[in-house]
Amino acid sequence: MATYNVFTQEWLDAWKQKIAESKEYKEIAKDWEGSVTLICNADPSKNVPKPVYLFTDYWHGDVRDFLVCDEAKAQSGKFIMTGDYARWKQVAKKELDATKALMQGKLKLKGDLTYVVRNVKTVNKVIDLLTEVNTIWPDEG
Amino acid sequence: MNGYAGKFLEVDLTKGTCSSFTIDDARLKKFIGGSCLAASLYLERYNLNADPLAPESPLMVMNGPLVGSGFPGSSRFAVAAKSPQTGIWGEAACGGNFGPELKRAGFDGIIITGQSKSPVILSVINGEAKISSADKLWGKDIYEVTDICKAEDKAIKVLAIGPAGENLVKFAAIGNDKAHFIGRTGLGAVMGAKKLKAIIVRGNQTPGKANEEKYKEIFKAAIAELKDSAFAESLHLMGSDAAMDLGMMTGDVPIKNWTVGEDFELSSKLSGPTMRETYLTKAHACANCPVACKRVVVVKDGPYKTEEGPGPEYETCGTFGTMIMNYDLAAVIKANDLCNRYGMDTISAGATIAMAMELYEKGIIDKKKADNLELTWGNMEAVFELLKKISGREGFGNILAEGSLKAATQLGANALDSVVHVKGLELPMHDPRGFHGMGLAYMMSNRGACHMQHAAMGMEQGMVSWPQLFDMKDDYDGKTSQGKAMMVFNAENYGILDNSLSICHYLMYCLKPETLRDAFNAITGFNFEFKDFLISGARDWTLKRGINNLLGVSVKDDVLPKKILTPLLEGAGAGSIPDMNLLRDEYYAIRGLTPNGIVSEEKLLELGLPELRDKLYK
Repeated sequence: MATYNVFTQEWLDAWKQKIAESKEYKEIAKDWEGSVTLICNADPSKNVPKPVYLFTDYWHGDVRDFLVCDEAKAQSGKFIMTGDYARWKQVAKKELDATKALMQGKLKLKGDLTYVVRNVKTVNKVIDLLTEVNTIWPDEG
Repeated sequence: MNGYAGKFLEVDLTKGTCSSFTIDDARLKKFIGGSCLAASLYLERYNLNADPLAPESPLMVMNGPLVGSGFPGSSRFAVAAKSPQTGIWGEAACGGNFGPELKRAGFDGIIITGQSKSPVILSVINGEAKISSADKLWGKDIYEVTDICKAEDKAIKVLAIGPAGENLVKFAAIGNDKAHFIGRTGLGAVMGAKKLKAIIVRGNQTPGKANEEKYKEIFKAAIAELKDSAFAESLHLMGSDAAMDLGMMTGDVPIKNWTVGEDFELSSKLSGPTMRETYLTKAHACANCPVACKRVVVVKDGPYKTEEGPGPEYETCGTFGTMIMNYDLAAVIKANDLCNRYGMDTISAGATIAMAMELYEKGIIDKKKADNLELTWGNMEAVFELLKKISGREGFGNILAEGSLKAATQLGANALDSVVHVKGLELPMHDPRGFHGMGLAYMMSNRGACHMQHAAMGMEQGMVSWPQLFDMKDDYDGKTSQGKAMMVFNAENYGILDNSLSICHYLMYCLKPETLRDAFNAITGFNFEFKDFLISGARDWTLKRGINNLLGVSVKDDVLPKKILTPLLEGAGAGSIPDMNLLRDEYYAIRGLTPNGIVSEEKLLELGLPELRDKLYK
């Protein structure tokens, strides 16, 4: 089974493919419109020397651009979620629910919170599908 | 003592007298204020065995030291009495503006005993209390009474009952300025039994703070924390009903009187975002609150036309929405408006009607029994008619006015399986099959099934994480009973403080516990460590448990209802039920309860409650 280094274009592509192949996602996300930027703060102690910017775009059950990007592109996201590496790793491994992370202040959201709450099933499905991507983490041997 | 007005008002409505008394600093430090201080006074001064509606039973309206300080969320005040609904310790808290104004009027609390021969109103204006006739107010609803009381001075703050309180409906509420309600445990009936229609307060005193400079620093920190809190943002944008969408996904929302596990159409139509997009006109804040979670709504036309006023909380969207299979948010708004005006707790009212609908479906009651009403699921015209009948104790409404447990008892033994309660109080709208810790919290809450006397929901559902203070997880599995006893124990010891300090439960979730402790210290000068906070919480819980023990509560009452021990077939909670015995056994050991559920003598002495020890073990 293929494995991918986290935060790489290959890893993003694998995640995008998982989402695109999910019939359940297509149904759940039929009303979702817009992009979500994920920002992982730098953490040299975990081998993340600089911030990581990921641009992911969704439209009515389809997936569009999934890009490792620069800060300027990241700021164009309809929603911007920011957090430390350790938190993103917990979320990606489903050790910490993304909604709980948001409420506890471990992830920060910029964007319409009402829209996210309305579409919380979509958000959770996207995270569920991420857990299906075999991921190599930079702080793990 | 800083943070306190320094005196309590004592009113005897039989004699028509008003006087005041003081409480020494040591006692204030021990019991803090609010419902905890009320419980200590109740134990010391009153006959616990008296009927809740008897003249000798007190109604206690109590502030805590934070009230009136200007600290965010410090609008809360508690009302306590022996509950006419459950027969055990009863209390409820609400926000609004009555508490701060009472302190400005010069009092930390009001204790009312006796019974007037005719309806009266109590006015407390700048340290002076007066009892006057309320003959012209009797029979009017809460909105009408509030408007009349404020006609000459809009700054007056009002506590009032409606027809339900007058008619001793067992889940009658007390309203504060239309928008805020002392809902649970039927305290409006205690007020009604005393023939006390309303209390009005007005004042201009400012309580002192022990360390004004330190307080200013902490206040700034608190505001920054609130601005940074996604939970606070969600409350501002969507009110407490923000919980509906997420709750449906996690198995928190009860449906069709707790028999269905999932219905996303229901949650979508009744959710906080939907309210915001349709009927919301503005957000409303309690005194000293920058969050403004209260909804103001209007239904401009259609069958559920409702004038602009307070909108429903999540709980009400549950009881008058998901629980009775009503998909129309406008109808929930109408039901909420009627409950507010009549003066009834929306949780108990809606849950009792949901039970009646199930009994109707099962054929245990028929149309004739129901006063010719078709109690089919989602029939909102029947619901509105029932609310009127309950508040007036007319016909079938007179049976339901007793609350679901006593009503079902009257309707036959086979009706009892449809009642979902703990200690006679209907469950709030959070399903323990999705969250086992909440099941334990319901079992052990001193006023009966309650989601507000502890922080279990915040911890278990992940709204908060305070690992620096407790051995707790960031992310609990709701469908696990193992280890939840310690979580609930901690959640109670901290969460119960909101009703003694008098701080909003939601803001308690948004603020760091250290910030709250520091604000408390700066206001009172008590210099509590966090462990002192938790000991106070444990003392509060134990005191109320001991009172309940004296009123007959024991292990037999610490049980979940049959429905909650029956697995759902669908949804996130499907197939899961709390392990009631495991939860209870672990909890009893941690809490220091005997196997029979009585507070142990050692625990009473450890927490400095020798008077309670003497009464329990004499």
